[in-house]
Amino acid sequence: MIDALRYEFVRLRTIRSTYWLIGLAMSFQLVMSLLIAWRFSVATHPRSGDDTFDILATIGASTGLAPLFIAYIIGLLGVFSTGHEYRHGMIRATLTALPNRGTVFAAKVVSTGAVAALAALACVVIALLSAVVFGLDMPSTHELVDLTIGTMAFTAMFALSGLAYAALTRNQTAAVALLMLVPTVVESIIRAIVLAIKSASDDPQGTTGIVKILKYLPYDAGGKMYTRASLDDLLSFLGYVPFGPLGGGIVMGVFVGGLLALSYALFLRRDA
Amino acid sequence: MALIEAHALGKTYGSNRAVDDLSFVVRPGSVTGFLGPNGSGKSTTMRLMLGLDRGDGRTTFDGKSFSELDHPMRHIGTLLEAKPFHPTRKARNHLRMLAAANRIPTSRVDEVIELVGLTSVSDGKPRKFSLGMGQRLGIAAALLGDPDTLILDEPSNGLDPQGITWLRNLLKHLAGEGRSVFVSSHLLQEMAVLADELVVIGRGRMLANGAVDDFISHSGLGAVEVLSPDAELLGPALDSLGATVSHDGATLVVRGATAEQIGDAAHAAGARLHQLVTRAATLEEAFLEATGLSEEFRGSAVDEGGRS
Repeated sequence: MIDALRYEFVRLRTIRSTYWLIGLAMSFQLVMSLLIAWRFSVATHPRSGDDTFDILATIGASTGLAPLFIAYIIGLLGVFSTGHEYRHGMIRATLTALPNRGTVFAAKVVSTGAVAALAALACVVIALLSAVVFGLDMPSTHELVDLTIGTMAFTAMFALSGLAYAALTRNQTAAVALLMLVPTVVESIIRAIVLAIKSASDDPQGTTGIVKILKYLPYDAGGKMYTRASLDDLLSFLGYVPFGPLGGGIVMGVFVGGLLALSYALFLRRDA
Repeated sequence: MALIEAHALGKTYGSNRAVDDLSFVVRPGSVTGFLGPNGSGKSTTMRLMLGLDRGDGRTTFDGKSFSELDHPMRHIGTLLEAKPFHPTRKARNHLRMLAAANRIPTSRVDEVIELVGLTSVSDGKPRKFSLGMGQRLGIAAALLGDPDTLILDEPSNGLDPQGITWLRNLLKHLAGEGRSVFVSSHLLQEMAVLADELVVIGRGRMLANGAVDDFISHSGLGAVEVLSPDAELLGPALDSLGATVSHDGATLVVRGATAEQIGDAAHAAGARLHQLVTRAATLEEAFLEATGLSEEFRGSAVDEGGRS
């Protein structure tokens, strides 16, 4: 396992996309959090430290009005972790250097999850520094820890789902498309269909029935780890009661774990 | 020094049996050539040997399968396809990455880069590499762990004549050190001077396995050229040997009998011989004869006007 991790470490360090993606995420975070912090600093109605930090750290995603953008950038590291192997014919070189497929896969999961989580942590730190620069109120320790863990966990799982998509499809382009479309387009379509059916039912405000599906939409559920108010709240009149941060994180974790288990099983069985 | 033993290798794609019950041995201290027409299953066989493709059979390297080897690049060096690297990762970094997985010192990376002649471009991105340069980088990766065994799939692809000569000398030198070298190639003339042993397959099945000289001498395309002023006496004698005789001008081209048999038959028949020359088949002729019915992909004939 150590050898496989060493391989992954050198692999990540010696390819430009690692630096581009992390640099892009951090640059986006720096520019946007400085901009938002500046606007907050001149606002006539100052926000609480917790609220300010939530918005800065997630660049508005904590409001539920936007996706966690850094996760979409950093998530590509997961796609590339496996996608490059197939796109550039590296998989055979990799498996002749490390013939134990289990350790190769495990090392990719560990390295991708760790790098994604650390990159997310760096973005949170940038947000915190932006608040310091403009003299904004600091968040409570509780909120600081909760949101940081939530953001790191979501980003790591998001990247791991990208890794799994690439391993399942063995096609980097398809994996990128899945990573971008499933959380945004696919889940939105499912939500719209479910709500349409629910609103036309005999009990449109009941909490039972088909509306329960919505709380199991994996990326939406995982988003509860960093959202503090959400458009989903507006759907409560249709009986939609989402999971909290822990429950949502578990739903996303089970989904990503399932994807990884399936891709691992196929990785063991398929020809390289 | 590793003895490679492949036993009952097999692979099926859908209804197509790509590799069927292949067994052979590659001995240390020799270069074993792996020949077969396009699509005959050579690359698939090599991947099966290394556990990269799932199939039947087992290959051992001194008794251990590839996946059982600790730090396999130190035991088996492989080149399986052209340009198996990320196009923007520097050549040296590509090798450093492989070395890291097998605890090979970084100093060895520079050694193999120099050995394959890529020092001047080692910090360049391989996407700018020609096919030959890519092959050299692949060969460098195969040699990285200073392995006992080399398994190389078409290593001379894209190499210029100097490169082919360099590769031939390198592989002969490595085999001379007692290593096992298993190499596939379409360059039959090259294989004729490189290989000691041959494994010849067609449609995934074994066609021949053994020493190169034996493979060639068993070819029916070898002949004895006979020049005799007493052809009318010699003809019946050759018929009695069961030989087939064709005419090339005044020369009789005899197949199916040795020069000794022909000489004895001529003496018994009272026929004078002015010339008795054994002409061995070339490796190319022997290969084409052996694989003639086993070509997976066969082009249509082209007439003199270029029409097929």
